[in-house]
Amino acid sequence: MEFGTIEREIYVEASPEIVFEVVSSPDHLKQWWPDDARYDPTPGSVGEIVFGDRAAGGAVVPFTVIDARPPRTFSFRWTHPAGEVAAEGNSLLVTFELTPSGGGTLLKMTETGFREMSWEVAVLEQQYQEHVTGWDFYLPRLAPYVATLKVRP
Amino acid sequence: MSTAVVEKVDDDLWSAIGDPTRRRMLDLLLIEGDGTATTLSQQMPVTRQAVAKHLGVLDRVGLVRATPAGREKRYRVDDAQLARAVAQLSSVGSAWDARLRRIKRIAEAIQHTQQD
Repeated sequence: MEFGTIEREIYVEASPEIVFEVVSSPDHLKQWWPDDARYDPTPGSVGEIVFGDRAAGGAVVPFTVIDARPPRTFSFRWTHPAGEVAAEGNSLLVTFELTPSGGGTLLKMTETGFREMSWEVAVLEQQYQEHVTGWDFYLPRLAPYVATLKVRP
Repeated sequence: MSTAVVEKVDDDLWSAIGDPTRRRMLDLLLIEGDGTATTLSQQMPVTRQAVAKHLGVLDRVGLVRATPAGREKRYRVDDAQLARAVAQLSSVGSAWDARLRRIKRIAEAIQHTQQD
């Protein structure tokens, strides 16, 4: 059983240079994940990503760039407590690896740190589901939970 | 109303499985089918007392079920509850699936624009 790592691979019909830009630049990140993103895509840069409206109780989450080697590797840590230096044990590490393949790019993503941190973080991850799929995601989960509650003393 | 209860159960379950010692115990129980605090402590670098305490945590969230075995209790993994915990991590994975699909769409749109 390996609970601690998520690995995904997807083929993109675009050059590694373009894919690198999309996974690393804050302007693009906002298009595929948080509602706002502020950081320099350079190693060591500390910034933040925001889910929801910053002024209306949105979640502001620390974001630290670990590695940026265009067009091959981009990695960052997130979910570390504000003010703490991101390191193993206090944050999740997301790594994108890009490999040229047949005129496009094979994009591999790994997210690690669940085992070292706490599984509460996995729940945290779920809270940052994008708005579009948020309800699709939560509604089917409620029924099984309610069913379980019934058999619990 | 029920949402609050559901979240509470959720947190307890994740906290229970969040501890490396408890995950190791679950692994051992799955491999061997069942075990007691004594048999588990013989295979781990922790005391019988510590193992018994961890088993109590796992029992409270329903990840293991106990039956009396002499002066001890014999524990088995509750498959349904373990499956729920695993499913929750898979849902983190499906969040990434959606993100990666959007990355693909954006990158391919840019590539397309540059070729025109």
